[in-house]
Amino acid sequence: MFRAQSEKMTAISANSQDYALCTMLHSNLAAAAFDSLQADKRLVVLDVGMAMAATVDYFSQFRSKLLFVDLYSEDLVAEIGEEVSHQQLVAQFRQALGIKDNCVIDVCLFWDFFNYLDGTLIKAFIEALQPYVADHTRGFGLGSLNSRCQLPNSCYGLMTENTLTQCPRSEEQRPVYPHSQRDLNSHLDYFEINKSRLMSDGRVEYLITRCDGSELAKKPIF
Amino acid sequence: MFNFKKDTDTDRSALNKSSRSSSDIAKRASVSIGGKTMIGSTVFIDGNITSAEDLIIEGKVSGTITATGHEVTVGQAGQLNANISAKTVRIEGRVEGDISGGEKVIISKTGNVLGNIDAPRVTLEDGAKFKGSIEMDPDEQPAIKAVPNSKSDLFPGAASAEKSNAS
Repeated sequence: MFRAQSEKMTAISANSQDYALCTMLHSNLAAAAFDSLQADKRLVVLDVGMAMAATVDYFSQFRSKLLFVDLYSEDLVAEIGEEVSHQQLVAQFRQALGIKDNCVIDVCLFWDFFNYLDGTLIKAFIEALQPYVADHTRGFGLGSLNSRCQLPNSCYGLMTENTLTQCPRSEEQRPVYPHSQRDLNSHLDYFEINKSRLMSDGRVEYLITRCDGSELAKKPIF
Repeated sequence: MFNFKKDTDTDRSALNKSSRSSSDIAKRASVSIGGKTMIGSTVFIDGNITSAEDLIIEGKVSGTITATGHEVTVGQAGQLNANISAKTVRIEGRVEGDISGGEKVIISKTGNVLGNIDAPRVTLEDGAKFKGSIEMDPDEQPAIKAVPNSKSDLFPGAASAEKSNAS
């Protein structure tokens, strides 16, 4: 239902702005992040990246609440002292997210954020997010196929259900921690990589969903 | 009624010495042209502004801005630490505060907003900087709220600024 309404309107929104400075990427999985949602309910979307014109334009056709936190720009991601405990990291992430207590997120647009976190930080971030995540919550992420593939210093937006925009970031690129799909899956705790697809220039897109108790038990432990 | 000052020490000194009423000062520092009131780039208002006409803000405002049924434009030189409520809000400068638009909110490419936006329609232009939440409902009817009847609360043909603390 949600997709049907979306497809009718994306053609209009996609042409309403000039995206000359950005490149477009085809996505096979972004649409799946919205599959289980109902058009008559308000959609709550967390975008951990920079607020992009395309994303706001796309969601402006729906009753929606967009939460833009741009965690890339937080000092938290840059350097973590060795003395910082896991619980302190969780608290810092929760503060950086700044989400109200009763908020339930339907879709998390993680983009390539996990590539700028080591395993410890990913675990802390995922735990910080947990109070705002429901069983139906889905996520969308981008990663590298392997460590030889260079991750572009970009920010991303959702232009249509099948099209992403990619724009260069003005800030210097932070250190990158490429994760294999297996490693990333192990860090995601209550989330799991449900599907992955190879994109252009060695990138991979991930559909991330909640795993139930039985699937959680099957996840690899390292 | 409110505190109102220019940025430079010279100007501030002149204002402090002035025996004119605050409304006289406000009238001098804001210009009303064709139903729009402009608050100039050297003006700093610390207080609550209620306007019954369109506002263009190029100065600094700390407080709240209410222009029900009208348009508020924060120009490129505008720097606000204020919540804004209006029919249409256009941001070209810097705003730290929540924005409520009865009809729409537009953040231009030069705009920089830290706060929460609530409006039926929101447009973020390429290059705009935003951090916070955006709540949209395209099916929502534009909010129609009564404009205050009492003209005594408003500056004649311009914005009014209410009581606030000195800064």
